[in-house]
Amino acid sequence: MSVGSERHLSVAPAACAHCGLAVPPAELHAGDDRQFCCAGCRQVYELIHAWGYEHYYRLVQEQQGALEPVRPSGRDFADLDDARRQDEISDAVGDDRRRTRLYLEGVHCAACVWLVEKLPEALPGVCSVRLNLSSSVAEVVWQPGRVALSAVGRALDRLGYTPHVHTHARAHDARRAEDRALLLKVGVAAACAMNLMFLQGALYAGEASRMATPYVAFFRWLSLGVSLPVLLFSARPFFQTAWAGLRARVVHVDLPIALALAVAFVYSAVNVPGQGPLYFDSLAALVAALLGARQVQRHAQRAALERADSLRGAAFVEFARRLEGEGLNAAAREVPVEALEPGERVEVRSGELVPVDGVVLAGRSSLDNAVLTGESRPVEVHEGDAVSAGATNLGARLVVRVDAAGTRTRAGALYALVQEALSHRPQVLQVTDALARRFVAAVLGLAAVTAVAWASDGVQVVLQRVVALLVITCPCALGLAIPLAVSVGLMRGARAGIFVKNPDALERLRRVHTVLLDKTGTLTEGRATLVDWRGDDLAAALATALEAQSSHAVAQAFRATFGRRVEVARAVDDVREVPGQGIAGRVDGHAVAVGHLAFVTAEGARVPDDLSAHAASLLADGQSPVYVALDGRVAGVGGVGDALRADARSTLDRLRAQGLELRVLSGDHPAVVARVAGRLGLDPEHARGGLSPEQKRDAVAALAAEPGRQGAIVMVGDGVNDAAALALADVGVAVLGGAGASIVAADVVLTRPGVAPLLDLLSGAARVRAVIRRNLGLSLLYNLAGAVLAVAGLVGPLLAAVLMPVSSLAVTLMSTLSPTFTGARRAPVREPRT
Amino acid sequence: METIFVLLPVALLIAGIALAMFVWAVRTGQYDDLETPAVRMLFDDEPPRETPRDAPGEPTHPSDAAPTRSDHP
Repeated sequence: MSVGSERHLSVAPAACAHCGLAVPPAELHAGDDRQFCCAGCRQVYELIHAWGYEHYYRLVQEQQGALEPVRPSGRDFADLDDARRQDEISDAVGDDRRRTRLYLEGVHCAACVWLVEKLPEALPGVCSVRLNLSSSVAEVVWQPGRVALSAVGRALDRLGYTPHVHTHARAHDARRAEDRALLLKVGVAAACAMNLMFLQGALYAGEASRMATPYVAFFRWLSLGVSLPVLLFSARPFFQTAWAGLRARVVHVDLPIALALAVAFVYSAVNVPGQGPLYFDSLAALVAALLGARQVQRHAQRAALERADSLRGAAFVEFARRLEGEGLNAAAREVPVEALEPGERVEVRSGELVPVDGVVLAGRSSLDNAVLTGESRPVEVHEGDAVSAGATNLGARLVVRVDAAGTRTRAGALYALVQEALSHRPQVLQVTDALARRFVAAVLGLAAVTAVAWASDGVQVVLQRVVALLVITCPCALGLAIPLAVSVGLMRGARAGIFVKNPDALERLRRVHTVLLDKTGTLTEGRATLVDWRGDDLAAALATALEAQSSHAVAQAFRATFGRRVEVARAVDDVREVPGQGIAGRVDGHAVAVGHLAFVTAEGARVPDDLSAHAASLLADGQSPVYVALDGRVAGVGGVGDALRADARSTLDRLRAQGLELRVLSGDHPAVVARVAGRLGLDPEHARGGLSPEQKRDAVAALAAEPGRQGAIVMVGDGVNDAAALALADVGVAVLGGAGASIVAADVVLTRPGVAPLLDLLSGAARVRAVIRRNLGLSLLYNLAGAVLAVAGLVGPLLAAVLMPVSSLAVTLMSTLSPTFTGARRAPVREPRT
Repeated sequence: METIFVLLPVALLIAGIALAMFVWAVRTGQYDDLETPAVRMLFDDEPPRETPRDAPGEPTHPSDAAPTRSDHP
């Protein structure tokens, strides 16, 4: 509340000197030559200049990076110095140094890498910092004797890159070890394959020109030797999975590959002393190609996972400010949330997340519960009201008594629900189709038939035919085409802002029948905006100038709608804000009051009948009327509500046109949900409101259990209250701006705003499946022709060796060159946080 | 042409050395991050400064963590 006659001059709109986004009028200060959109941007700008790193801004432009408004957390990071955790969070390097890995928020371009890696220069005691751009993990080596890790944390925080201890370090290490092992196998296989091809080429040439025997024998024995690393090292994964499959009586796709490798190798090895054909080069090339495809697949999946991890950010509040000492203004100390006991008091500043479930002891404010419950309207709270962890404090400082913290909070319980639902998901490593299994069985059957049919011609002939058959019909298509098509599709999708964490989702989307949508934040914008306005322009302009002094949700709504049109500087005096009621003052000499009906009438304003009727219709429509009084007369009425997204109606219409059944599951009031459903053209029966997170999950389970239901269920949501349902649905889609828990639970994360990317997801998935089907079809054709030739004995080893890589190459090209995800390649939209 | 009995093993040995170097590179983590080094190449090298223009200093009290213009020592 600001009292007194402070004169504020509204200034013309400006761009933030740090992040370049528009500066909200409330933050404009006349007389400053540089404007900033928030305190965070101002702080980072000044720090960068104080340290002499202005080069950062030039780099951002050169690298085409995009800046975002920064939000330093202001924490002191004392927990990083905790001696008991040192072994957990860091390793010793030499005698006097330690190395740790920190996950940094807010890393988005090369300039960030430059700035972060300058830290050793700016902070003595830090030896090196290396930042990985795709995973946002920084490896820091520092000397504990010279600088504390908490100081490093604070420095990073002040630059705008809030660090967190990298909690997934162990899983990260395991993944990295697997990637390295695979890369080694690919390298060995490729090197040996190329050398074997040289040797085999010499042998082919020798056959034509009749090379002398000692040399031929030499080449043949060398071929055997060089092929050993491939068989014994690189090809081991195939033998291992084929054997595991046999023991479990499952026909795995690797079985014919393993069989072909084994039989062809033994046959060739036995032939080495004699004159028979050798297949070493074909084998090595096959192994190299298959492992290479796997490498590409892993890389694509890892990139998508890392990106999804970085989008998640810190899933939950980890630290809180506990009040120590008597009184409500005692000093606050930062402690981990788990260390809080019921009965202790914490303070929640404006703009922060509430860290615990509890009761308000002091302060009046409004909370945004949308992430937890789906309620679109901010909830006013004052002393005695209950609050939940995860809500955003939109207003003033609150002091909260702790009732439950960490995993015992409502949000923590929801997260546990998500983990439980995820643990029931079967782990599928490859896209194995029924078709693949039938193909494998057919090849094996054909090999057996060939063996029997030509048995009378002797072992040599039988072996020759069978080996030629296995080499030609090797399931390159299955080993190469499907993984490649999927990987390339995923990478293209990622570039279009659609991150598919789970490749099985692409296949499940084929059978999609029902789409369940959350309302708040998914179909609607998720924040209060001025949806309706009736009144004169002067009233609007003056009201906006007045509201620029407030950070209330209604003020933000006014700024969002009218604020950008401010052109005239206005003198604002005598501002009085009554939290929860309204704001009054003098603007350009007029007496202006904005707020609830009770507030403006208490200020002495009368409401004309037509505006009164209009307000009543707004109420009936589910909006909150806001009255603007000018010099004692109400001159305008605005409707504040949660606006539908611009693309919601058209997207839903197109989904319906594709034959999908649409339903809405929301935690918001049923009346509001029904109105939204009506506006979207949905059957009111299919829109359910007032659902708790558990009820949403149960609704998904009930739908899935309906008798006679075929087809997959897709759930689209963004908040913590959707996470359990997302995890349970066949395909869970998290929308831009979603809470950490829903990103963890989802199979697909959309990072472009709006609901329209859903359509791109469906069409992209359909195209990927089309590419796979086409590849499979063509390979089957080729395999059939090849099998016939091999069984008839018309294919020699040279022809087999040539046909196989040609087919692999053709399949590879077809996978990579086909268009799959073609959404617009725009970076996600960022708004300054007003 | 008897030299082939020497030349080929030597050639394979050289290939083996190259392979060993590849194995070393993978094991020391040089293939772990292929994106960031590509970006780092574009930075200009500046001569290291003896002292930073402004000693960054720690905020002594957690509430100092949002400095104003007068914060820097």
